[in-house]
Amino acid sequence: MPPLPDQAKLWETPSPAPRILRVSDLNRRVRVLLDGDPALADVWVEGEVSQPSYPPSGHCFFTLKDAASQVKAVLFREELARATVRPEHGMQVICHGKVRAYEPQGTYQVYVESITPAGAGDLHQQYEALRARLAAEGLFEEGRKRPLPRWPRRIGVVTSPVGAVWRDIGNVMRRRYPIGELVLSPTIVQGATAAGAIVRALHRLYADDGIDLVILARGGGSLEDLWSFNDERVVRAVVESPVPVVVGVGHESDVTLADFAADLRAPTPSAAAEQAVPDLSAFPAILDRLRDRASAALIGRLTDRRSYLAQEARALARLLPDTGAARQRAAELVDRGHRALASRTAREQAALAGLGEALRALSPAATLERGYAVARLLDGTIVRDPAQARIGEPLEVVVARGRVATRVEGTAGAQEELLR
Amino acid sequence: MSDPAKPEDFANRPFDELVAELQRIVQALEAGNLPLEESIARYREALRLHAAAEGRLRDAELTISQLGRGLDEAAAEASSADPEV
Repeated sequence: MPPLPDQAKLWETPSPAPRILRVSDLNRRVRVLLDGDPALADVWVEGEVSQPSYPPSGHCFFTLKDAASQVKAVLFREELARATVRPEHGMQVICHGKVRAYEPQGTYQVYVESITPAGAGDLHQQYEALRARLAAEGLFEEGRKRPLPRWPRRIGVVTSPVGAVWRDIGNVMRRRYPIGELVLSPTIVQGATAAGAIVRALHRLYADDGIDLVILARGGGSLEDLWSFNDERVVRAVVESPVPVVVGVGHESDVTLADFAADLRAPTPSAAAEQAVPDLSAFPAILDRLRDRASAALIGRLTDRRSYLAQEARALARLLPDTGAARQRAAELVDRGHRALASRTAREQAALAGLGEALRALSPAATLERGYAVARLLDGTIVRDPAQARIGEPLEVVVARGRVATRVEGTAGAQEELLR
Repeated sequence: MSDPAKPEDFANRPFDELVAELQRIVQALEAGNLPLEESIARYREALRLHAAAEGRLRDAELTISQLGRGLDEAAAEASSADPEV
């Protein structure tokens, strides 16, 4: 690194008299020197924690040492909160961070960004070792995983009550499943004490037998941030759950051991909420379809019944004689009969009337009135020829007002004689 | 097949039971082997179930509660170093 111009001049100008530096200049020079070394900006150092202090500022100051040397270290409040271990005297740790000079004190120190226990290998090794052990125990087997209740009524949520995750879960539930009930079991989700807190929060829900489903969630972060979810106690607490557990921790790419133990692993907290419940926003349409199907089925039923009745009626009609036609024929016959009878009666009445006139004209009474008589033999035979009557035979002579009994005295010839 | 429910029963029954009952009735109606009078009765019940379930959705409001204990921890975290995660 090129030295700063003014300082370069201080060092490079040959002078018989030594240049006297101000302390500030010296410390500044050292700071600039250290800041210029990329290796010191990203350093991993292993050592033993000595004399940690926790002033009210929330930061942690300690000394990191080995058998021969020591160096000052600081863990600022934000990093301390995310750390999986809290530095304690005598603890073997691996610190990751950068080395910088602290000008006011003329010291340099390690600004620790993450701190993990040493001895058990790095976090990744620890993760793999624990995963292998718990997997061998069968805790991650697919056969252990339970189906989620399709219609959970009360849903337990273990997460931090502050921050976006809890808010997001609430929003997803309001949008998809407002008929449900969320029961928050609050916990811290990072830091050295988080694992124990998460386990307690889970067990609080397990003690409530009205809970149908548990969501364990946390937002994204570094491997260290999510470390509690790789804690064996948390993994076992998930496995022990009496109800299915959905775990949504970090982002899609973050897979913690708690994820492996979950009945359902969701890529994110919001996805955990989405997968935990059905989406009721589709249900008004589903309900309408069901109602329409019921209507269609009933209409079909009625139509069937009507066509069945029509069919029955046709079948009956085929079975019965066609009385209608017969009745009509009968009626026609009767009509014809009536008509025939009526005309014959009329004709006969007319004939009778004519006959009566004829009879009256032919009646002998009228002739008898005029003075004619009819001669009859005893057997009623009318005598028209003298040859019919024998001498001495009785005759009955009919006149207009009675009969005269006589006897044949004699006979004569033709009619002319009588008219003479 | 359960007895047709009274409308006033619907308020106390979970949403999914209303839907399941509606589905059962639809299937029974579609099977077409109920007597006509019962088909009509079932259809009336389907309409009541539909209305009840629809109303339930319309009026739903998410219930949120919190288990009492453990708040101290959460509060401690909230006041100290928990970033918005």
